[in-house]
Amino acid sequence: MASRGDLAAVLGDLRSSASAAGLIGADAAACARALAVDGVAVSVVVGDGLCELVWSTPGASRHLEDLQFTLGEGPGPEAAATCGVVLEPDLTRVRDGRWPALLPEAVALGVGAVFCFPLLLGGACIGTLTLQRAAPGPPADAAVADAWMVAGALTAVLVENAGRWPASVEEKESVLYRAVVHQAAGMISVQARVTLAQALVRLRAYAFRHGRSVAEVAEDVVTRRVHFRIDQDERGASDRWRD
Amino acid sequence: MLSAVIDAVDTLVDDYDLIDFLQTLCHRCTELLDVAAVGVMLVDQGGKLHVIAASDEHTRLLELFSIQHDEGPCVETYRDGTARLDIDLDEPDRTAGFPGFAERARHAGFAITHALPMRLRERTVGVMNLFGTRRQPFTETDSRVAHALADVATIAILQHRTLVHGNLEQAQLQAALSSRIVIEQAKGILAEHWQTGVDEAFEGLRRHARAHKLGLTRLSRQVVAGEIDSTDIQHP
Repeated sequence: MASRGDLAAVLGDLRSSASAAGLIGADAAACARALAVDGVAVSVVVGDGLCELVWSTPGASRHLEDLQFTLGEGPGPEAAATCGVVLEPDLTRVRDGRWPALLPEAVALGVGAVFCFPLLLGGACIGTLTLQRAAPGPPADAAVADAWMVAGALTAVLVENAGRWPASVEEKESVLYRAVVHQAAGMISVQARVTLAQALVRLRAYAFRHGRSVAEVAEDVVTRRVHFRIDQDERGASDRWRD
Repeated sequence: MLSAVIDAVDTLVDDYDLIDFLQTLCHRCTELLDVAAVGVMLVDQGGKLHVIAASDEHTRLLELFSIQHDEGPCVETYRDGTARLDIDLDEPDRTAGFPGFAERARHAGFAITHALPMRLRERTVGVMNLFGTRRQPFTETDSRVAHALADVATIAILQHRTLVHGNLEQAQLQAALSSRIVIEQAKGILAEHWQTGVDEAFEGLRRHARAHKLGLTRLSRQVVAGEIDSTDIQHP
């Protein structure tokens, strides 16, 4: 069980994380410990139903965000769309038809319970805080209250840092977790002569068909192990590309 | 008494879940910091402070909040938006602006008080007021935690208000992320045209931006929109 000092440390850490290197500079693992879960992730809504991962513990939480990004469904997209909290204490007992593509993958990742809190501001959802742990079971009432507090502190940090953030644009190292995905989308848009939005759809579809994460496939695109060029022999058949 | 105050500010807050949450927050505050009592003061449209949640509802404590209509550290903190920490209630120098408040607070058994602005960007929505029974100043860490808790209270209030400002802040956050995304996309586009790596593409992008006194984001947007041909940008 987490101690009180843990939550204080996380809140203090968040408050001082006015970091030029990213939107949130605090330690995600410490946050997970304080909230008595195995992992945490924060994604920000960037429009068109897309969320950009900005902070996460490594491993299952990050993979879960990637899966939701690939598949476009899950507790995160749902919390973002409804501005409501999504508590799923046991992923093996979710009602039929809910997140059909995501669930088996999430369970295979070893995620037992997911608790997703919207980051709310001015009546809008600006992002999500997703907690996950391997052991199924409902969150304690106190843990839910603490999670809302962390969600509030995260919202404040995101909004405060966003104002200063454009200054970091000149840096070569990207602050985005999924920088490679956007680089790959740029390359695919040239290869397949499609818009960036269509390029991203193709990337996600490819990842889904091959049972891989978007980030992995994007890495292969950028290192030129996978391309989406229109086949030379079938120029004009614009929907065909080589795997 | 608290319900009367709530009635007075229900033009500001009409969601009782919010009050519940703020009360939990105040209570949690007393656990996370070495303080005995905490209150969240909200400002009304006339600029007056009202307590909307407290760690307990003893009349003596609530009075301490309510007299800050006129004087007290919260009034001063609200006025200039800066925190006032470690105010020793026995120290005439520190309490010169609010002698009546200080005397009442001492009578209520408190030795020290702190007032933190509940502020997001330039907007102050209220003040968080903390009281301790021991004359012990905050450590650096305590101070950060207290500020973070004041942030949480601020967000809790702002998330329930539909404000033009709220949408503006969301737009800024999205713009901050989008500006970064568009640079990555432009890197990919140039890397593919030039058949180079993305780092080289970024170098070309940055040099062109500097040479033409364009912002990197703006140039990237032009690349992504096809307004600039990749051949116009010199391959490094």
